[in-house]
Amino acid sequence: MALPLVPGRRRNPDRGYPFFLIPAAVLFTAVIAVPFVMNVGLSFTKWQGVGPLHWIGLGNYQRLWHDRTFWAAFEHNVAIVIAMALIPTALGLVVATALFDYIGKRFGPRTASVLRACVYLPQVMPLAVMGVVWGWILAPGDGVLNSALRDIGLGSLGHDWLGDPHTALYTVMAILVWIQLGFPVVVFMAGLQRTDPALNEAAELDGAGWWRRFWHVVVPQIRPEIYVVLLMCTIAALKAFAPIYVLTRGGPGISTDIPSYYSYQNFFEKTQVGYGAAIATVLTLLTLTVTTAFIIVQNRHQDQER
Amino acid sequence: MFLSRSSRRRAVAISAALAAVSLGVAGCGKSTASGSSSKVLKLWHYEAADSAMGVAWNQAIKEFEQKHPGVTVRFEQKTFEQLEKTAPMVLNSSDAPDILEYNKGDATAGLLAKQGLLTDLSGAVAQYGWDKKITGNIAATSRYTNGVMGSGPWYGIPDYGEYGMVYYNKDMFAKYGVKVPTTFAEFTAAMDTFVKAGVTPLASAGAEYPAQQYLYNLALSKADQNWVNQYQIAGKADFKDAAWTGAATTLADWVKKGYIAKDSVSQKATDMGNAFESGKSPMMVSGSWWYGTFESEIKGFAWDTFLWPGNKLVPGSGGNLWVIPKNSKNAALAEDFIDITLQPDIQALLANKGAVPVAANASDITDPKAKELVQNFQTLQASNGLAYYPDWPVPGFYDNLTAATQDLMNGKSPDSVLSGLQSAYNQGLSQ
Repeated sequence: MALPLVPGRRRNPDRGYPFFLIPAAVLFTAVIAVPFVMNVGLSFTKWQGVGPLHWIGLGNYQRLWHDRTFWAAFEHNVAIVIAMALIPTALGLVVATALFDYIGKRFGPRTASVLRACVYLPQVMPLAVMGVVWGWILAPGDGVLNSALRDIGLGSLGHDWLGDPHTALYTVMAILVWIQLGFPVVVFMAGLQRTDPALNEAAELDGAGWWRRFWHVVVPQIRPEIYVVLLMCTIAALKAFAPIYVLTRGGPGISTDIPSYYSYQNFFEKTQVGYGAAIATVLTLLTLTVTTAFIIVQNRHQDQER
Repeated sequence: MFLSRSSRRRAVAISAALAAVSLGVAGCGKSTASGSSSKVLKLWHYEAADSAMGVAWNQAIKEFEQKHPGVTVRFEQKTFEQLEKTAPMVLNSSDAPDILEYNKGDATAGLLAKQGLLTDLSGAVAQYGWDKKITGNIAATSRYTNGVMGSGPWYGIPDYGEYGMVYYNKDMFAKYGVKVPTTFAEFTAAMDTFVKAGVTPLASAGAEYPAQQYLYNLALSKADQNWVNQYQIAGKADFKDAAWTGAATTLADWVKKGYIAKDSVSQKATDMGNAFESGKSPMMVSGSWWYGTFESEIKGFAWDTFLWPGNKLVPGSGGNLWVIPKNSKNAALAEDFIDITLQPDIQALLANKGAVPVAANASDITDPKAKELVQNFQTLQASNGLAYYPDWPVPGFYDNLTAATQDLMNGKSPDSVLSGLQSAYNQGLSQ
């Protein structure tokens, strides 16, 4: 927007920008800020979702403190963070480097792109469909996985993967790694494109092996990408809901229940809206804390590098 | 999201169609407001068009329109989940329908009645004589006092019922020389025969309602009407009593003995249905809602049903309810529609399609299997043998029961599982 200059007055060149923030600010207020404040308000009440609200102050939070199911759900969520953020990031680094460095150079960039697309596919598939398919694969008795184990003579390893409380959470974690891996791979491969090949070559001339070059030359260069991926995956893991909903509904028992699903159960199925809102509020505060901590650490690192 | 060209074109077409529909609907709304000669009755339900209820109610809509020329029924298909989650908000708004199908029970219809969102139908019940057709425990889910079912004003009317039974595979019974059991001892003996032959006798599923209905059936074998009332209505259940303790111990025992497959813990209801339909298990204990499905899908073997041996009480109740929102502008027309669904021809249609009508004349039912289904139901209704469902007493108890049953099947001690159920039950009641 070029405005005619008014002679005799110095214009502040930044003055025109706030105007462009209005649409996003309106959306943010309507979709995030207002519901968030309402949800926090609801968490201090006892309400069935219809009819009068009863103010009970911190009652829901006191109940939460003593609720064993909630704390168990919280522990499961730590496992989900490991499965959706830590493992995919570490694994994604290796896969991306292998695709970029080895496959890309040996078999051409096209092959690397195809493989990258394959790894990314679970990211774009609808979760509901994946839930059904994994249900078939993991079905006890004649499921694909158990049949395959039987066919190769490992029938004794056959198992009711999602029905045994000792394996259900690990099984869900494995599926989540498979779903989540594509995102870090794509981001890291983009990051590797902008690394300086001269550094790598210099290290190679100095006699550094692949692993040492990877760790001391490549990883430091794509540190910003690693931070972004870790942060986004952690947030996604803290608010994960759909995978649990389609795979296990929190079962068997409560062995795969997580706070987001527990909140939903209270909100809709138990008509304890206030309690569900309290769980959601705690989850939001936790997510904000984690995010803030991440950003502080990241800034500190970048300051050190400058 | 990358859409191919053809799917993008389809997306555009669909959104255009949606826009047209919504405009059309808006147009309708305006025209009815101006002219009172043509009225619209807005009706919602969530039954599939080809199900017994879908077919029968479609016929009822036709008859209603013939009876009331100048009134159009505008039907909108909803889903069970959709209404369960949004009904309280929608019924409070101007978009509320004139009549809808809604879930029975304290946490659903009871909650709406308590909040004053539903029309009290007691006047219509007296006027049409519906209480002659809907009696005993079937009527319990229609009446709510302060949101608790069992007595008080009428808020909803069911036109079909449901009850639990044992579906059995006649061919497999013949093959292994098993007779239809009439006592609990014969029932377990029959299951032993199958286990010895390497067959899992009972199809079940732990991740959804089936397994907890096994648990409830077992509890009902040691229960009476008073026990049911204490558990379901008075909120005075004792999960450490003989009925519950026996049920939990027996269910865990049945899994150990192989009557119920241990690996059915993570299975869903459809998996149970498949296990019965594919002849994997010769018996399946579940509700009458499977009847129509089995009639149309099982071609490979003969099957039939019997009631859980030795039980005077079985899970069951009136079906989901017709309710009229407080804001309905055509309450009188809606009441007349309800009455049409209770007429003998619609009731017979329900029966012949495999559902259980609440007020059918046995002589109108042509299908011999359907006749037996309805007669069993009428026997249970007459003896007050319907004990509702285990998850009813408190909102959200379904999840607690599912988790508890899975724990039982996985070998957790019955005592600790029942303690957990007791505290969830008490917690739910205090809400």
